[in-house]
Amino acid sequence: MALRRGLRDNFDWPLFVTVAAIAVVGVVNLYSATSAAVPALRDIYIQQVYWLTLGAGTAVLIAAVDYRHYERYGWIGYGIGVSLLILVFLLAREIRGSQRWIPIGSFSLQPSELMKLFLIVALAKHLHNDPRTEGRTLKDLIVPGAILSLPLVLILKQPDLGTALILVFIFVSIMFLTHLKLRSLVTLVVTMGVSAPLAWSYLLKPYQRERVTSFLAPEKDILDTGWHAYQAKVAIGSGGLTGKGFLQGTQNQHKFLPDQHSDFPFPVWAEEHGFIGSVLLISLYMVLVLLGIKIASEAKDRFGAVVALGVSALIFWHTVINLGMVCGLLPVVGITLPLFSYGGSSVLTMMAGIGLLMNVSIRRFHF
Amino acid sequence: MIMLSPRREVGEFRKRYKWMVLFVLVTMLSIVGRLFMLQLVQHDRWAGEADRNITKVVRLPATRGLIRDYRGRVIADNRPSYNVLVTPRLMGEPQIESIAGLLSLDEAGKQRFRNLLGRVPERRRSHFVQAFNDISRDQYAAIETHRRELPGVNLIVAPLRSYPFKQLGAHTIGFLNQVSAEDLKDMNGLGYGPGDAMGRSGLERAWESYLRGRDGELRVMVDVRGRELDSSAQPEKPVRKEPVPGLDLRLTLDMDMMRSAERHFRGHPSGGVVVVDVHTGRVRALYSKPGYDLNELTSGLSQERVREMLENPFRPLIDKTTYESYFPGSTFKPISALAALQDNIIPGSTHYDCPGYYMLGRRRFRCSHVHNDTDMHMALVQSCNTYFYRLAEQVGIDRIASYAREFGLGEKTGIGINTEASGFVPTREWYVKNHNDKFQVGFSLNTAIGQGDTRVTLIQLAMMYAALANGGTLYVPQLVEKVEQADGSVVHEFPPRIRRQINVDPAYLEYVKEGLYGAVNNRKGTAFEARIEGGVPVSGKTGTAEVNKSKISPKEDPRRAWYDRRSHSWFAAFAPSDNPQLAIVVLVEHGGYGGKYAAPIAIQVLQDALGDPSATKKPVLVSKKP
Repeated sequence: MALRRGLRDNFDWPLFVTVAAIAVVGVVNLYSATSAAVPALRDIYIQQVYWLTLGAGTAVLIAAVDYRHYERYGWIGYGIGVSLLILVFLLAREIRGSQRWIPIGSFSLQPSELMKLFLIVALAKHLHNDPRTEGRTLKDLIVPGAILSLPLVLILKQPDLGTALILVFIFVSIMFLTHLKLRSLVTLVVTMGVSAPLAWSYLLKPYQRERVTSFLAPEKDILDTGWHAYQAKVAIGSGGLTGKGFLQGTQNQHKFLPDQHSDFPFPVWAEEHGFIGSVLLISLYMVLVLLGIKIASEAKDRFGAVVALGVSALIFWHTVINLGMVCGLLPVVGITLPLFSYGGSSVLTMMAGIGLLMNVSIRRFHF
Repeated sequence: MIMLSPRREVGEFRKRYKWMVLFVLVTMLSIVGRLFMLQLVQHDRWAGEADRNITKVVRLPATRGLIRDYRGRVIADNRPSYNVLVTPRLMGEPQIESIAGLLSLDEAGKQRFRNLLGRVPERRRSHFVQAFNDISRDQYAAIETHRRELPGVNLIVAPLRSYPFKQLGAHTIGFLNQVSAEDLKDMNGLGYGPGDAMGRSGLERAWESYLRGRDGELRVMVDVRGRELDSSAQPEKPVRKEPVPGLDLRLTLDMDMMRSAERHFRGHPSGGVVVVDVHTGRVRALYSKPGYDLNELTSGLSQERVREMLENPFRPLIDKTTYESYFPGSTFKPISALAALQDNIIPGSTHYDCPGYYMLGRRRFRCSHVHNDTDMHMALVQSCNTYFYRLAEQVGIDRIASYAREFGLGEKTGIGINTEASGFVPTREWYVKNHNDKFQVGFSLNTAIGQGDTRVTLIQLAMMYAALANGGTLYVPQLVEKVEQADGSVVHEFPPRIRRQINVDPAYLEYVKEGLYGAVNNRKGTAFEARIEGGVPVSGKTGTAEVNKSKISPKEDPRRAWYDRRSHSWFAAFAPSDNPQLAIVVLVEHGGYGGKYAAPIAIQVLQDALGDPSATKKPVLVSKKP
């Protein structure tokens, strides 16, 4: 009874409206992005609606159960995530030089997407049960570091640099919450700063270095990637203040944008709706992330706070890296724009994350 | 009931949230700043780029104006040529192979094609580039048949310049070739693009702006692969700007007369002929031998052919009618005679004795023969040097020079094509300056007979004889009579231009003309041998201009050296004698004696142009080849 009352009275409307707005705009944009594409792609905006619906259902289920249950089963979830990642190597076929998807019937599951949430929950459980009043030292980072490393190594082996980076960024963001002693922090930064180039020069053999460089910039090998990034800039820049209008973006309609439905949906939007539309969309993402931080700050316990912050970090880093990449501020790595890019695993993960946020938000007055 | 974990203190996290919010704000704002940069500050650049991405501009070349001769025959024409355009982005190795197969290219040709494709910059790879020019009929048919299987290949028909008269009048008409990268830089804004042809010499160059016309263009929308969108998907209608054809030139040249000059020149390897209308200064023939085939130059010469032309001892690239200047020899004598008469230094009746030479101090000045007692008339008829030596002694070099300049020597005539030489008329002052401050009377003597340092071009001499013939009017030589549109309507018509009215007494002019008449028609005349019995009456003056007199060095090829040392053979004339219409100048380079080689050519060209075709023709003498 108490649960139901909480759901009704404490429902986080701003969060819901923001997410709904991004999702609706995303579907509309997807329609435009694929309107001139090959027939196979033209209907994916409908599939995106299905995924969003499925995701919304998942979010409701996730939000309905008191998050303290998740704390209890945190390790189990983590174990499932890692098992799936191992399963990838047994089941997945290679696509574009990497193994990322497990085929399930007619669609494919990308376990590395789900792993992001399992990692957040696992780290939250660890920090929840490891409260400190005095500052933390490097020793306190060993367990969280191990929690990160296991899936990280598996994902790097696929290889999927983008997702690996996101995991690291989420980890750093969460650990930033904790109070690490200044001395430990300095030691950590200095050690990493010194050891990285040394390891690069002396530990790695030339062929290994070469692997790492082509690994850091895998798209360098793909013909014309620089050209594609350039065309994305052309699309954004040519949008001007107000844009060229819905379905009127020439860069998109004339097929100058690559992967316009997965990694490059933002240039489509920026070309059609200009600076004004772009700022509005970015504002929605910013509001979403700030709401997430607010929910974390209002959480009544450590687990809720860390989960809310982890999900916020997930959304934030995806958004920033994707936008930075399409604007030419960052190199091209395959990272989706949350709820805007087409993709089942991505949408489900984001919506599940939103469900966790909603869960923490609804229960901020409990206990 | 499941045991949920107890509440845990969140105080450790409290202080961190505000830094996170700040970080989020700064990051998001920097992205907005980047968008501000791209979408507002640099918008024009990116919008232009987006526009260029999707517009394909197909040039519609303008038809170059035609060049016609005085009778309306086409001298410079346009014929269709087939060119192959390709879209580099669509050219993979199989496409290259199949195109090479259809055009039957050899390995080297295939490699050139690959290199061409490789040079196209990334942003132009979805645009058409011209890959093959002026392909043969068979190649055209092969490509046309398989065009559907070759996306990204297009055939266009472009006009190519053709010259039906080939080498005849080559120097005057001129040729075209493709603009180079430097030209494009120099002529920025004049609308030339890569692959355009422009006039490089002669009239084609001088009248480029009239002949050229203005290219049109067709703008179509394309997708990323360079394929045209079907019309329903075109956001705008294709924009078509029609080309404006160039204007036609109607020349004063008469190709019949050019042909006649060529025919009568056939025995000699090198020289030139100029014919002008004495009443207008319109040039009827401008012939320089040897020439070159304009079609060959317009379609591009191989390295070997270029070297061959540059090394040819008869210098085919030199326009001998306007660019080269020569000693006038005895064709200059009418000037000396007029200077003496007009300034009342010596009347025509003055007699001098010619023992075959003239002694000035201890120097001996030669004459061609022993002419004995002559007056000025007979001196002109027989081209007696001695008479003119004596005359020069009294007239002086400056008076001769001033009449020479009066008749247009020593300065450019203003014919307006190619590079024109101005020739040279020496004065006393010049000799003083160039000969150790000492003037010698011998300089005057040589000048009076057209040796020494006087240099003239063929066109200058022709204008001078036209002025002698028409009573003293010096015209500017004219090559273009009219500028017309393709439908024949006249845009500009150019009237004859008088340079100056020469101040000479008509009686003296008449006296000199009688001398010139005698040179051809008097039994003792220097050109009597070349006279056509019953043909059009010709008045003229022979000239034998001595050239290189240095000793033959053992290093030289003796036959070449012998040729190079032989005098140039001149004849300058007008006809008909009683009512002059045409003036002619013939120069046979290293031909030898003027009356024997140049005069027959001139007289026969005049006979072809003005005379009764039934009149007897004399055989052409062949100059001794090296």
